[in-house]
Amino acid sequence: MQNLTVVAYVIYLPIAITLTYYVAYMLFKNSIVYMNDIFQSRADVAQATNNLFRIGFYLLNIGFALYILRMNLYNANAQELIEQLSYKVGGFSIYLGIMLFLNMYLFFRGKRVAKQKRLAQPIIAQG
Amino acid sequence: MNYNILSYAIYAVITIYIIVWVGKMFHRNGRIFILSLFKNQTEMADTTNNLLLVAYYLFNIGYTIVQLSYWKHIPDIASTLSSVGQKSGILILMLAALHYNNMFIIYLLSKNKMKSIHL
Repeated sequence: MQNLTVVAYVIYLPIAITLTYYVAYMLFKNSIVYMNDIFQSRADVAQATNNLFRIGFYLLNIGFALYILRMNLYNANAQELIEQLSYKVGGFSIYLGIMLFLNMYLFFRGKRVAKQKRLAQPIIAQG
Repeated sequence: MNYNILSYAIYAVITIYIIVWVGKMFHRNGRIFILSLFKNQTEMADTTNNLLLVAYYLFNIGYTIVQLSYWKHIPDIASTLSSVGQKSGILILMLAALHYNNMFIIYLLSKNKMKSIHL
């Protein structure tokens, strides 16, 4: 039996990086709307915040994908290759989904806090 | 050319590229936040931004180079890929932790500023 570890790495890495890129692209293409709503008249701050969150997202997820890379497939057959790959790729997808929901929660919370601050300001200005 | 040197080369190229790219992104995008902390004094903000960038490069590239001395022996190509991947992953996770920490600090500082203006 050949050492199938390199095959597994060569399959896992492109899938993980492509998934991360796709999720980040979708999330931060749409989150600029939330940012423009939170930072209402300051479009440049909104864009900068969006970029910073996007870089953080990439760093966190690609770092995690690389950190869990290690697989041991010495003397394994094709079945064990598929099973271990599915464990890694599936686990990483679930983790990406959790990260996506976490980021959405942060955006919604930021929107709510910004709206509260905006509603509270006229009262302070009057009183 | 043994596998250790190959893995050092791949690791150094990947991590230094990522460190430089992320540094440039933060330098460009974080400028607005530093500007708001220094109350729109562009010179002070630019100086601070550049100093932070240089300190960031020194620290992270230094950490990368130090990691080269703690590398265990690599017997074959699979271990090359896995150890390069794991060490790069640890560095990138550290960058992510620093990044979120910085954003949190900027958030706290701006909240402080808002409180001192409105009260």
